[in-house]
Amino acid sequence: MKWLELLQVAGVTLVAAVTLVVLYSLGVRLTAIAGDAQQKSPALIRSLAYVCFGVCGIAVLFGIYLIVPYFGK
Amino acid sequence: MVALVIALALFFDFTNGFHDTANAMATPIATGAIKPKTAVALAAVLNLVGAFLSTEVAKTISGGLIREGTDGIHITPDIIFAGLMGAVLWNMITWLKGLPSSSSHALFGGLIGAAVVGIGFHSINFETVLQKVILPAVIAPLIAGFVAYICTRLAYALTSRHDPETGDKLTQKRGGFRTGQIFTSSLVALAHGTNDAQKTMGIITLVLIAGGTQAPGSGPQFWVITACALAIAIGTYAGGWRIIRTMGSGLTEVKPAQGFSAETSTASAILASSHLGFALSTTQVASGSVIGSGLGRKGTSVRWGTAGKIALGWLFTLPASAIVGALTALLVGTGVVGVVIAAVVGTSAVVFMFVVSRRSHVGHHNAVEVDEAGHAVQFRKKKKNRKTTPSGDVQR
Repeated sequence: MKWLELLQVAGVTLVAAVTLVVLYSLGVRLTAIAGDAQQKSPALIRSLAYVCFGVCGIAVLFGIYLIVPYFGK
Repeated sequence: MVALVIALALFFDFTNGFHDTANAMATPIATGAIKPKTAVALAAVLNLVGAFLSTEVAKTISGGLIREGTDGIHITPDIIFAGLMGAVLWNMITWLKGLPSSSSHALFGGLIGAAVVGIGFHSINFETVLQKVILPAVIAPLIAGFVAYICTRLAYALTSRHDPETGDKLTQKRGGFRTGQIFTSSLVALAHGTNDAQKTMGIITLVLIAGGTQAPGSGPQFWVITACALAIAIGTYAGGWRIIRTMGSGLTEVKPAQGFSAETSTASAILASSHLGFALSTTQVASGSVIGSGLGRKGTSVRWGTAGKIALGWLFTLPASAIVGALTALLVGTGVVGVVIAAVVGTSAVVFMFVVSRRSHVGHHNAVEVDEAGHAVQFRKKKKNRKTTPSGDVQR
């Protein structure tokens, strides 16, 4: 039995998914805050949100990198 | 015989495609992130692209389930034909019932059944079966469900907004998750294309080699790759709307944040498993994720009845397709007449199931009616939440 691989898969899945979801949620939250009427510096917060989305985008690109075997070899 | 097997293999690829559209596209359709038709078209294109990207998996398809080679056991086209028949029929039955089930497991089951009849019990490597089929079937939904649960919890915790003074809930503005869903679900579709189209390519190549028209040890030929890619893409575009309905609204009511969490968990689990060497079934991972995300959001109920039906379906996948595979192998073993009978019976069974399916037509227009509701939710989310009964009657 490949218990070690199994644990690895579970661990990596957990870490990757949680990281992505946390980042994306932060982005969503920040966008929402930036949209609030009484907010003083919406531009700053909005750009922070874009940073979060950007990192998620990079993660997706990494996913594509993993899927396409051409890059892996 | 070879031509027959190739035709059946391509049809299997087709059923595989429409069976698995749901894995990637059920939750974005359910939340209204992508329109149903656009979603299946996107998935189809990604599957097509994915199929051309890699032919690595194609080389290891039966993966040691059946002891080949040294002991002199030869997988003949007959056995592959019988195995495919088992897989195709089981895929059609589960589709009719709207159950997401693993096409790979159906294929394994069919091949195992056919090999037992055609060769004997000693031809099956039961330890590999346990390790590659049974154990992952239990573990995949558990891992994915747990991860999706955590993710959904986090997503809601991070985006829940309260007024600091009054403590009232502000508008939550979670619509952004819809956009994210497009990307995560596309990732799942692409990964599916790189994996599942390969299985059929592997089978056809195996048959061609067994039939002596291709040199042993060579990779799939170009027309094989093209045909498989097209078959899976057309299948995906045809859309297994029944299964999409089960996954998108039958298990639990999916909201954008949940959908995003579920798709992210699915994508992570599939990528992690295919790169760290513990293969998990896409279907099982995706179903687990949806259930997990349902558990993670307060005020949602998971319809355990449906979940139980799906689990029962998984339990039967291997034996049921094995039995069909075995019966077909028996028929084929009797000679040309048997092959003809098997082909005719198989085709008529497929046609029959298709006819039955027309009686209660499920198409893109009515697969998930949450689609329309999904747009309404943006404006009156609170009302919608209250209306949902805890017992969760089906949304139709």
